[in-house]
Amino acid sequence: MLLPTHENVISIVQAKFSCTEIVRTLHLNASITQKGWVDESRILALVEHDSTFALFIIISEKVKPESFSDLTIERAIPIDKHFSCDTDPIPESYTHIIFSIIHKKLKLNFVIEIGFESSNFASEVIRLKEVSSFNVNNFNWLDKYSCGGSQTEIDVQQATMNDQSPDLPIVRQKVAQGHGISANRESFLRYQLSLKEPEYTHLQEFSIFVGTWNVNGQPPTISLKNWLSVDQEPPDVYAIGFQELDLSKEAFLMFDTPREAEWRKAIMDAIHPDTKYRSVAYVRLVGMQLEVLVNNSHYKYIRNVAIDTVGTGILGKMGNKGGVAVRLELHNTSLCFVNAHLAAGVEEVERRNQDYNDINQRANFRRHPYTIKEHDQVYWLGDLNYRITEQSAFQVKKYLASDDLASVLLADQLNQQKDLSKVLQDYTEGDITFQPTYKFDLNSDVYDTSEKARAPAWTDRILWKGKGIHQLAYRSHMDLKISDHKPVSALFKSEICVVDQNKYRKVHEEVLKKMDKLENEFLPQVTVDQSEVIFDTVKFREPQHREIIIANTGQVLAEFEFIKKLDDVSYCKEWLSITPFSGCIKPGEKCDLRLIVNLEQPLESIYDILVLHLIGGKDMFITVSGECQRSCFTTSIATLSRAPVPLLQLTPDQFKHAENQQSSILYSIPRELWLLVDHLYRNGLKTRELFESTALHEEIIRIRDWLDLGSMDPIPGSIHAVAEALLLFLSYTRDPIIPYHLHDTCIAAASNYQNCKQIVMQKMSDLDRNVFLYLCMFLQELLKYSNENGTDPKTLATIFGDILLRDPIRNSRPQANRGKASFIYHFLINDQSSLIMPCK
Amino acid sequence: MANRTSAAQRPNGSTQGKICQFKLVLLGESAVGKSSLVLRFVKGQFHEYQESTIGAAFLTQTVCLDDTTVKFEIWDTAGQERYHSLAPMYYRGAQAAIVVYDITNQDTFARAKTWVKELQRQASPNIVIALAGNKQDLANKRMVEYEEAQAHAEENGLLFMETSAKTAMNVNDIFLAIAKKLPKNEQTTGPGGSGQGRRLVEGDSGAKAAGNCCK
Ligand SMILES: Nc1nc2c(ncn2[C@@H]2O[C@H](COP(=O)(O)OP(=O)(O)OP(=O)(O)O)[C@@H](O)[C@H]2O)c(=O)[nH]1
Ligand SMILES: [Mg+2]
Repeated sequence: MLLPTHENVISIVQAKFSCTEIVRTLHLNASITQKGWVDESRILALVEHDSTFALFIIISEKVKPESFSDLTIERAIPIDKHFSCDTDPIPESYTHIIFSIIHKKLKLNFVIEIGFESSNFASEVIRLKEVSSFNVNNFNWLDKYSCGGSQTEIDVQQATMNDQSPDLPIVRQKVAQGHGISANRESFLRYQLSLKEPEYTHLQEFSIFVGTWNVNGQPPTISLKNWLSVDQEPPDVYAIGFQELDLSKEAFLMFDTPREAEWRKAIMDAIHPDTKYRSVAYVRLVGMQLEVLVNNSHYKYIRNVAIDTVGTGILGKMGNKGGVAVRLELHNTSLCFVNAHLAAGVEEVERRNQDYNDINQRANFRRHPYTIKEHDQVYWLGDLNYRITEQSAFQVKKYLASDDLASVLLADQLNQQKDLSKVLQDYTEGDITFQPTYKFDLNSDVYDTSEKARAPAWTDRILWKGKGIHQLAYRSHMDLKISDHKPVSALFKSEICVVDQNKYRKVHEEVLKKMDKLENEFLPQVTVDQSEVIFDTVKFREPQHREIIIANTGQVLAEFEFIKKLDDVSYCKEWLSITPFSGCIKPGEKCDLRLIVNLEQPLESIYDILVLHLIGGKDMFITVSGECQRSCFTTSIATLSRAPVPLLQLTPDQFKHAENQQSSILYSIPRELWLLVDHLYRNGLKTRELFESTALHEEIIRIRDWLDLGSMDPIPGSIHAVAEALLLFLSYTRDPIIPYHLHDTCIAAASNYQNCKQIVMQKMSDLDRNVFLYLCMFLQELLKYSNENGTDPKTLATIFGDILLRDPIRNSRPQANRGKASFIYHFLINDQSSLIMPCK
Repeated sequence: MANRTSAAQRPNGSTQGKICQFKLVLLGESAVGKSSLVLRFVKGQFHEYQESTIGAAFLTQTVCLDDTTVKFEIWDTAGQERYHSLAPMYYRGAQAAIVVYDITNQDTFARAKTWVKELQRQASPNIVIALAGNKQDLANKRMVEYEEAQAHAEENGLLFMETSAKTAMNVNDIFLAIAKKLPKNEQTTGPGGSGQGRRLVEGDSGAKAAGNCCK
């Protein structure tokens, strides 16, 4: 039975089930057409357990799933006595049909492709339905597949809850993907309210008068009172249909006829005088006209009125035959009135049946997803044109003369066709106790005396379908003689579902509360193992990390990200990095985050509050803090030159005074700078690629500590490490050696040594100038050994230009680098000894 | 009934009433009972030991008025002072705020007053503010007089109620009072922010797309 392509899919789907639950057959790629259902690729699976069957709707992330993790069971529907299914063609589609599944109040329409797969699947479902409805089945095994609901509710509620929550798995998915539940809200609300309808409605009887008359193109020259106002009580609703309102060619071709207004007026003149009526809808197609009126006091309870017409006449679509229909909702009951004029001709039984089917299939009330049969109550009226064939006119008249209607009715084509389920299958008709209404000589009660001498027939009929409809009268009106037909009417007492406003409010509120509850339950939830991350003493360029664990404790996928606070530029401070800073965690799973702090700024402490945001949910705060250890690398030249001892040996007061430049300058260049340069001068002049190789991270840290703490030991680390430490020192001093505000001037002057010299001599502070010239002299010294160390002035100028004139934001102006290098270059190739101030 | 709306007669149970969505934020010193009020309102529960909020919790809850349905998006903020600077993230764009204090603690009332000032300066100009004197069940340890708080509320145009998350007293009522006071027309939007008075038209005609809300 299975398509070969499905064989591997079936094993994937089977993996979603236990071994006693056997996937019997599948239908791939079924899409739900209903509003409110998320458009996903779905798989229908028939699953058997202990001789019971259920239909599973499974959402698949791929059209053809590759693993069972692609699948989510959306809903399980037991194939029991409440289950039914149906197939319906889609108008103008030759490739797809609608496969509908009905279970209690749930109705799902799937669009599936016509073919081997679909016909197999549908017939298998239908077959199982037939088998299973005879058994009393136990469907407990499906319980575990129902979703949502809360354990605290009592069982009955639980059961209904499950019934009512088709959207839940989708909600689950979608919420997790950042879509709110609100897209489903409206349909979910409507669906839930419809399920609870009995709780807030009661049935109230309304009288409905339905009339039909084929007027044979005659104008209304007589009053219709004897047809429309024969009952004592005024009906609540009138549905009045005419056929052959106008037989002229104009009416047929131009769709316009003066008769329309005339007959409508005739109706208004003849309806029950004891009440005021208002027209709810009116529709006409050529000669078929239908008007629905209601008692004024009911008018405000009428909603969603719609009309449609279906022509089945010439070419199968012209309006000389066919039907017109009005649909509406009266309180909470949907009503549909269809006025049909089916194919004429004694022998045209099949044609009439066909017209009936066409009307059913083609009538649709655009704004409402309703076809005729989907209404709570349908009233079908009209000149259905079914005749008496098996008896001669003579015979019929003879029976009628002896009041033997029963014998004639046996030969009525409509009764026969209905018995064969060829037409109006689900409709009921009251007993006919009136004479055939066709065909009379005009203005008489005499049956056709023309040459054709047609057998009299009940062409004009009224049938109904739906719950709570009681027919009180079904009759013809012989007094109205202007046509070759007599009018027919039926009076019904019909149960209409009326809303009790207070109860409705209560239920509405309950449902909303339930939805809130679901919505809150399906918000993403995570816990963070620490909301406070404290780092050990943070030191210059010595990264530290901490792990935090986020656990998804909710029911949905949690999508998280760190978000910016208010006007911040980034989600965290520049000394911190977070990996990953966003991500997704499945329910029950965890995610490790690594916070790395790397200090390059002169900070006394670090502090930040991180905002971890769950998309579609809450925020959590994580505080990050730590004390920092100061270092000469990030301290200003001015402070260092005032420090009598290494930085970390300073008392807080000493440091404060030095920093505030209250104490006097003790060194013309910082001690630390001198130590580095002196070491290079003494040990590194002949070293190749002195400034061009990178040192080990630990070496730099050791040099940093050696400088900051002070030590009698020799400087640690290789000569290259010391060289790199020098570059770092110059790169991170609080301010660049050449102050920012002079950079543009320096670059502008770069082509002229004298100008450059002037800037250095006149614009720089003594301290900065000393440092600058001291470095230049050292570099000149280095260049003296270029044969051995392989360096050259251009290279050094480029390296030091970049550092001594560093930009406020690193690497922000690469185009200025040449200017900076040229500026420095002058000081590497010209003798500066004359410029040096006497050192202390 | 004067405003017997057509909502109830709506076929298939859907209402004609609109759903208005509002962002509501709770502010106030730590431990005054903000989270407890939300928990009571949303889930009908109370925890004697309620963990201090470190972040901003988010929940939704709907209240039905006569002709409209108001859906609150509730942001329950962290009251600890060190998180104060983050509060604007949550009251920005909010249409309603409940400033909570603890009637047994005068300091929390002082803090509530400064929250109100901050909201009046920084939040949307037409924000609806309610003052909640919580822990009313502990009235025997009262340190803030009802009249004093009420006077303050009146001066500043605030809604005011004494509440108890523990006994549920006035909890629904204060949210309901806010819902009633919120403007239900289209112009409920304040400056910036999300979730601005979104109005969902509920179940009008079948042809309308789901979730058709004007953001
Ligand atoms: N007696 C009494 N206790 C309450 C009431 N409301 C809250 N509490 C208690 O007060 C404590 C603090 O309540 P929370 O709801 O956590 O306070 P909060 O304002 O959210 O605090 P933060 O999250 O830190 O800002 C908890 O122990 C609650 O049980 C109340 O109405 N009456
Ligand atoms: Mg809290």
